[in-house]
Amino acid sequence: MDQTLDRRRLLATAALGGVVGATALGSLAPEAAFAAEATAVAPGAPDPNFAEGRISKISGSMLLVTGSDTVLHSIRITDGTSIWKLHPTTFDRVAVGDGLYARGVRLPDGTLAADSVWVNIVNLHGHVAAVGRNVLHLDHKGQRILAHVVPGRSAAVYNGTPAVSDMSLLRVGRHVQVLGAWHPDTNEIDIATVYAAA
Amino acid sequence: MIELIAALQPLLVGVVLIWSARVKLVSRHAAAAAHRSALVRLVGQRRALPAYRLLGGVELTLGGLLLLPPALRLEAVAATVLAAGFLGYLGYARRAAPTSSCGCLSARPVPVSGRSLARAALLLAAGGLAVPATTGWADALATRPVAGGAVLLAELAVVVALSPELDPAWLLPLRRLRARLTHPLRGGSGVPLLATVQQLQLSDAYRRVAALLRSDVREHWDDGGWRFVAHAARYQGRPVTAVFAVPLADPEPGAVRVALVDDATGHTLLSLAGTAPPSGPRLAVVPV
Repeated sequence: MDQTLDRRRLLATAALGGVVGATALGSLAPEAAFAAEATAVAPGAPDPNFAEGRISKISGSMLLVTGSDTVLHSIRITDGTSIWKLHPTTFDRVAVGDGLYARGVRLPDGTLAADSVWVNIVNLHGHVAAVGRNVLHLDHKGQRILAHVVPGRSAAVYNGTPAVSDMSLLRVGRHVQVLGAWHPDTNEIDIATVYAAA
Repeated sequence: MIELIAALQPLLVGVVLIWSARVKLVSRHAAAAAHRSALVRLVGQRRALPAYRLLGGVELTLGGLLLLPPALRLEAVAATVLAAGFLGYLGYARRAAPTSSCGCLSARPVPVSGRSLARAALLLAAGGLAVPATTGWADALATRPVAGGAVLLAELAVVVALSPELDPAWLLPLRRLRARLTHPLRGGSGVPLLATVQQLQLSDAYRRVAALLRSDVREHWDDGGWRFVAHAARYQGRPVTAVFAVPLADPEPGAVRVALVDDATGHTLLSLAGTAPPSGPRLAVVPV
């Protein structure tokens, strides 16, 4: 805990500290960086730096993942991997049975060294069939989905304006798009962001 | 009482059949409804619309015969057979083409649900009940108008309640009213992380370092009016942390600052303050 606080203090001081010139360290223009890191994926071919599936085993920092096309992936979580599970979280919150999307760098031995992992992420469209206390009942292609509003986490974007925490403008019968975290093997999700017209 | 109920069933079944035929014969969306239904699976894409229209014709004819005197037993039997056919068709549709639409009482796409099956079963029961009736519905209603009216209203209410197509007309307004009275989604407050991320992604600081970032948001915390958002990044071959400082009270992207901190040594390799928005006259671009 102290270590985290020390690290955060260091990072905060760096961000709020004086300006350290960039010119001496080379160009920071995006064009230069992209030119250096062009990745070529043939049209129609699977992106080697992406994996998806459900976690069948966790051993150490390795995740064994069965893809929806039954391909097996080994995914390595490194010190620099970002892990999202409704919000940015830590590796110990990841469980067997969770679904994931991972992006990273494919190593020569076939494992994917993950830069970012999104656990149980779903992105779905639906109609608000009913609302309850901190819950939306969504009609998604004729199926009912229970979408929980998580106070302090869930955000709403109305008409493309900046995100707010206020969900009260959502209306029964309206169309919404929801980005959220699935509760594995249920029809329930936690809402990360709901996009709606207001 | 049972005789009264039996005598009124042709009226109920006839009304429902004519309502159903209306969708199939005169709705502008009949073709779309036919092609969304399980008829496509049953008789093929090309014959789905003619079959849908034919079914509408049968429904209209039978519904008209049921409503008009004289009350014949044969009509009730035909209605029962048709209702049994509906029930079988819906059961088939639910198993064989679960994504298909019912196409029953409205052109609105509605998947076949337990409610649709229950409604078909109700019509089957009503048809069966009408078979032994000896008097016409008009006579029965004239003799006992209050009891007859109550029975009919109750049955119609059940049909409406079992029709997912009709939900927008009564159920959704009721739910909207309840939400307006109870405010179940009230209480959200604070700046969500997404608002911070949206603000920083619009900033000049982000544009300068975006190509170096490797990960999504790794962690974030609030301190002294600022929200700090950290990403993993690579800079000149070294793993670094890109930490953005975003003021919680100021939504301007120009106020966002960023630093790149070496993960191994803790040294700040780069730090950029936000750039103030350009002052002076601006060129207003107006779309023509």
